[in-house]
Amino acid sequence: MLTSQFLTYVAFFVLSAIALIGAFLAVTLRNLVRAALGLILSFMGVAGIYFVLEAEFVAIVQVIIYIGAISVLILFAIMLTRGLMTSAASTQNSQWIGAAFVGMLMFAVLFFVAITTNWPLAQPHTISDLIPRLGADLVTTYLLPFEAVSLLLLAALIGAIVIARE
Amino acid sequence: MLISPELILAIFGMLVLVVDLIGRARTREWLPWVTVLGFVLAFAATLYIWGSNASIFAGMYSVDMFSLFFKLLATIAGTMIVLVSIDYLRGRTTRQGEFFSIFTFSILAMTMMASSASLLMIYLSIEFLSYTSYLLTGFLREDKKSNEAALKYFLYGAITSAVMLYGLSLLYGVSGSLNLTDIATAFANTVDPSVRTVALVAPALVLAGLGFKISLVPFHQWAPDAYEGAPTPVTAFLSVGPKAVGFAILLRVALTTLPIYQASWIPLLAVISIITMTLGNLVALRQTNIKRLLAYSSIAQAGYMLIGLVGVNLTGNSPFSGLNGVLIYLFAYLFTNLGAFICVIAIENATGAVNIADYAGLVRRAPFVAALFIIFFLSLAGIPPTAGFIGKFFVFGAALREGFLTLAAIGVINSIISVFYYFAVIRAAFFLDAKDPSPIRITPLVTAMLTVTAAMVLLIAVYPQPLFNLAAWSMGMFGVVK
Amino acid sequence: MIPLQFYLIVAAILFCLGLFGALARRNAVAILMGIELMLNAVNINLVAFWRYVKPAAPTMDLAGQIFALFVVTLAAAEAAIGLALIIAIYRSRDTVNVEDVDLMKW
Repeated sequence: MLTSQFLTYVAFFVLSAIALIGAFLAVTLRNLVRAALGLILSFMGVAGIYFVLEAEFVAIVQVIIYIGAISVLILFAIMLTRGLMTSAASTQNSQWIGAAFVGMLMFAVLFFVAITTNWPLAQPHTISDLIPRLGADLVTTYLLPFEAVSLLLLAALIGAIVIARE
Repeated sequence: MLISPELILAIFGMLVLVVDLIGRARTREWLPWVTVLGFVLAFAATLYIWGSNASIFAGMYSVDMFSLFFKLLATIAGTMIVLVSIDYLRGRTTRQGEFFSIFTFSILAMTMMASSASLLMIYLSIEFLSYTSYLLTGFLREDKKSNEAALKYFLYGAITSAVMLYGLSLLYGVSGSLNLTDIATAFANTVDPSVRTVALVAPALVLAGLGFKISLVPFHQWAPDAYEGAPTPVTAFLSVGPKAVGFAILLRVALTTLPIYQASWIPLLAVISIITMTLGNLVALRQTNIKRLLAYSSIAQAGYMLIGLVGVNLTGNSPFSGLNGVLIYLFAYLFTNLGAFICVIAIENATGAVNIADYAGLVRRAPFVAALFIIFFLSLAGIPPTAGFIGKFFVFGAALREGFLTLAAIGVINSIISVFYYFAVIRAAFFLDAKDPSPIRITPLVTAMLTVTAAMVLLIAVYPQPLFNLAAWSMGMFGVVK
Repeated sequence: MIPLQFYLIVAAILFCLGLFGALARRNAVAILMGIELMLNAVNINLVAFWRYVKPAAPTMDLAGQIFALFVVTLAAAEAAIGLALIIAIYRSRDTVNVEDVDLMKW
């Protein structure tokens, strides 16, 4: 029991480190292709964290959509707008000190909220038939957002084609 | 039945696409009229379910009078904007089917925002409206300004909505539920002082996303560029649509979820209100482009509306509850601001001009438009006998009733400042000589829309009782919550 | 069990890194990457709350995961729209640096 506890901790810290290092690379590297690879690393770490949280389906969706679709889309855009990415000019704008300040201030606030709040905790619950339950809930309790999001995707699809087509 | 307006809009959004796809060139002329038919049917459906007060889809969706008020607003705005965009789009884009379809979906998103009573639906409908707005803003893809406006709008919107989403996740964490009523219960039942921190931080983060939609300072920077670069009918839409339903969600979240923390969010909103109206008005003084001028003016208007929420007090039976002030103000603002933009569209259709300098001698070139400019600007400045005066009367009245004398005074001073830049346009139109004195031809449809909006602005001023009743009915549900 | 706070702190760091990237980068695609990181941070929050926090009602026992799935879906739509706009701008003026996109003043 103790070893499994210990291994969970190890997994959590390793995966968190991967997610955060990947994110750090993604927001600081000059070469945008490398930054995008850092982003993918970060997405992988986050997917791992979902596994630790026993939310397998979200983890798999994370891999398929974030890594399989969004990252590829971003890499695609970087390649399409190439010639701009390798220039020697700084990739940070002139306000990066201000941005760093805002980021740290925000972190201080969020950190404070995270550790001081007494969250209404319960026994961590595991759901054995998770995926069937998710599927059933999506078309019963969450029917309205489910239908709405399909219309949203339709509108986004049409609009993106109209704007980006040759 | 309760979601029939939404269903009608969804069906018509897709129908427009199909008509565009299978139709010939002649049938495509009918696309805007098909869209208008959808809005009229949705309007009628809203009236049909008038008076309902139901919570459906496991409490996620509230079909109450408050939401129906905003659904009426949304469908009215949609109808008028489609009608004035017919002439505007001709020659500017060949993709009218897609334009009207996405526009219908954006009105659908507005109706969903008005009813959202769950964090999930709030997030989803705000994003739905945002995405369609980005697409409409960048729709003229050959136009560099339209591109640029859409990109800036998108980047601002995406960042602020991510911040808002973080706030929503904290609200979920502190209550274990997505429904606003459960969150309200969690806040009301807890004696734990640590929850107070979340109850301050999470709504502040959510305010970033809503402030972006409403264009409150400091989340307003996108507005001038997006307004200037977007196709002008879309600008007209952005100035009324997202702002109205942004207020719908702000009011619903503030008054159903956080009433017990009212003392802590009122000072924050009061400060934002003061900064918003002052900055909007001062920067508007320096504008030379009419669309940018109206952008800053609409930022300032958002500041006035916020005064109503600061002065909100739903106890007792006062005619100045603050909430009714916001609703009356929004309704008056809808017709006023749309009217002002239709004037701009009328001139732009005929001459392509959007600079105030080009309005010189407008009174000789297009006397009707020039005269209506006066009505709309009087209303925006809040001078009687116009709808805008009624709106300001009720929001300032609420602030006075609650003892926010400084706030009301700053509001009045700001209204006086705003007269200067509105008058600059009037001065150009009436007292300067035109470089090119040829008359400007206004199409019948635009003339009709101008007449309707101007008539409404004056009608609300001389016979406001129906609007008072409408606002009183709409806020009934909040009385139940209290 | 790992305490809930650990997840929340990781999410907060990730969120602020993303926010920094979104505010400090010049390139529109890079800004979009920062935004995606912010959305990921929110999803960690949502899934962690789902696992640890007592649901207010029995119907709410999957709420966090469902919300996270919707966030992923919308993030994909957002990325598609954003990249379409970026490509349109790149075509018309050969740049995606937001500081060079300055026909109108910021």
